[in-house]
Amino acid sequence: MHNQDTQKKGSASIWQIAKAVMFAFMGIRKKSDLENDAATLTPAQVIIGGIIGAVLFVLGVMFVVRLVVS
Amino acid sequence: MAAVHGDVHGHEHDDHHPSGIMRWITTTNHKDIGTMYLWFSFAMFLVGGTLAMGIRAELYQPGIQILEPELFNQFTTLHGLIMVFGAIMPAFVGFANWQVPLMIGAPDMAFARMNNWSFWLLPVAATLLVSSFFVPGGAAAGGWTFYPPLSTQGGLGVDLMIFSVHILGASSIMGSINIITTILNMRAPGMTLMKMPLFVWTWLITAYLLVLVMPVLAGVVTMLLTDRHFGTSFFNAAGGGDPVMFQHIFWFFGHPEVYIMILPSFGIVSEVIPTFSRKPLFGYSSMVYATASIAILSCVVWAHHMFTAGMPTVGQLFFMYATMLIAVPTGVKVFNWTATMWRGSMSFETPMLFAIGFIFLFVIGGFSGVICAIVPIDIQVQDTYYVIAHFHYVLVSGSLFALFAGAYYWIPKWTGRMYNETLGKWHFWLSMFFFNLTFFVQHFLGLAGMPRRIPDYNLQFADFNMISSIGAFGFGSTQLLFLYIMINCIRSGEKAPQKPWDGATTLEWTHLPTPAPYHSFEKPPVVN
Repeated sequence: MHNQDTQKKGSASIWQIAKAVMFAFMGIRKKSDLENDAATLTPAQVIIGGIIGAVLFVLGVMFVVRLVVS
Repeated sequence: MAAVHGDVHGHEHDDHHPSGIMRWITTTNHKDIGTMYLWFSFAMFLVGGTLAMGIRAELYQPGIQILEPELFNQFTTLHGLIMVFGAIMPAFVGFANWQVPLMIGAPDMAFARMNNWSFWLLPVAATLLVSSFFVPGGAAAGGWTFYPPLSTQGGLGVDLMIFSVHILGASSIMGSINIITTILNMRAPGMTLMKMPLFVWTWLITAYLLVLVMPVLAGVVTMLLTDRHFGTSFFNAAGGGDPVMFQHIFWFFGHPEVYIMILPSFGIVSEVIPTFSRKPLFGYSSMVYATASIAILSCVVWAHHMFTAGMPTVGQLFFMYATMLIAVPTGVKVFNWTATMWRGSMSFETPMLFAIGFIFLFVIGGFSGVICAIVPIDIQVQDTYYVIAHFHYVLVSGSLFALFAGAYYWIPKWTGRMYNETLGKWHFWLSMFFFNLTFFVQHFLGLAGMPRRIPDYNLQFADFNMISSIGAFGFGSTQLLFLYIMINCIRSGEKAPQKPWDGATTLEWTHLPTPAPYHSFEKPPVVN
């Protein structure tokens, strides 16, 4: 790994991780936000955030389904 | 900028590698291995294509003319298996072998000997698969998805197929580990993750998907094997098992597999479109995020392949909604490619034609996919030619067209020679015409109710089948033109300049001579 911005790595708040993951699920992200993400998020944070996001996504779809069939 | 240290260092080593056949058997060079992957996959493409010609010849007219029903089923099964596991997947690994080290400034793949091993497993697996036609009972005939009970009842051909899938899976897992390690550990200084070319990104995500799902496939074929020979009843209802469980496990592998075959295509197209639009890729970060998103979503939609297998309504709705949501990140990609071309200084060389053809036809395949995701419609079109049309739009005009785009795009770098542009354009337009002639009419056949995997059909389907078969023969013959263009390019093409595409910006064009030297980037380039 050759990232130069290591001094601030891992300093992201949970909300920042959640926002990055939510935008990733939609597949869009502003360039300035992305650069901020790249500077402050570590891969481990993104992966854990992504897994939690996937679980929440599944639960969310299940909730909508329950709503529709009830 | 054109520091050509690669070839300077390369010459001294060039003299030492074995020559003749031993060069290819013992090689650990990523370029040699990439070349072998590509030739192997093309050979398998011709084998799978020949089977397709057999299928279409039989379906040219109603009635049984050429293939007995059993043999017809073997043809459809092996056509699918060979095209998926023997042609498309190894072709993308071939591209990864050639391009990943060149695009990230690495001297070779991380595990060079394992790379050799992953390739040489393939001919063994292919031999098992193809030779299964000649064993008693013939090849597997239960469809490429080898659902039980057909696959538990089949003959020796099914066992050969199971072993072949084991070996192909092992090869894919080793290839993926190699690609992941190379990308994460061997990037040139300054090449941060978010500066990587999109082809490298899509392969990184694809490799993770492969590592995730290939063991699942290995597991399910092993369960099938023990059901067949060791008295277990995983999928045998009489012994307390459940054949539907096979479908769940198979498709937990099978749906991510679809994305394994399309994500690297997205990567190739994302390299080609900006080059020939002479503009940077619009929304690079969105593309990376969308790829990751598609990969995650691909793991939670598998049961949309099983709507008619029996499932509670909540299950049907869950998988329907989740599937339709994948259209969001996929749509983001299509818009980004279109936006990249918007007001670009575009030119239409063969790679660009195939890339635009890819976008146009992949969108049709994507839309028919959304239609198939709707439960009530899917229940009508399940196992009909509508589904055949859908996935050929995704896999032929999707994956295969992207492979052609990539082959034309990078062949000057690989061989040092240019292909014949006029013939390349002929290849594109003939492929485009015959592809649509073959598969567009299959939508109508499916909607009218023609089932898949049948050698004979009702008279009402005769006209469209004849059109489809004529298209298929044309499409098949056109691919021989591709073979001619490539051989002609390698043997007597015009000498290519270092950067024949003036919009190209990735390392292999800016930092390496053409052809790429045998050993490149022994000293890593510095990326600003």
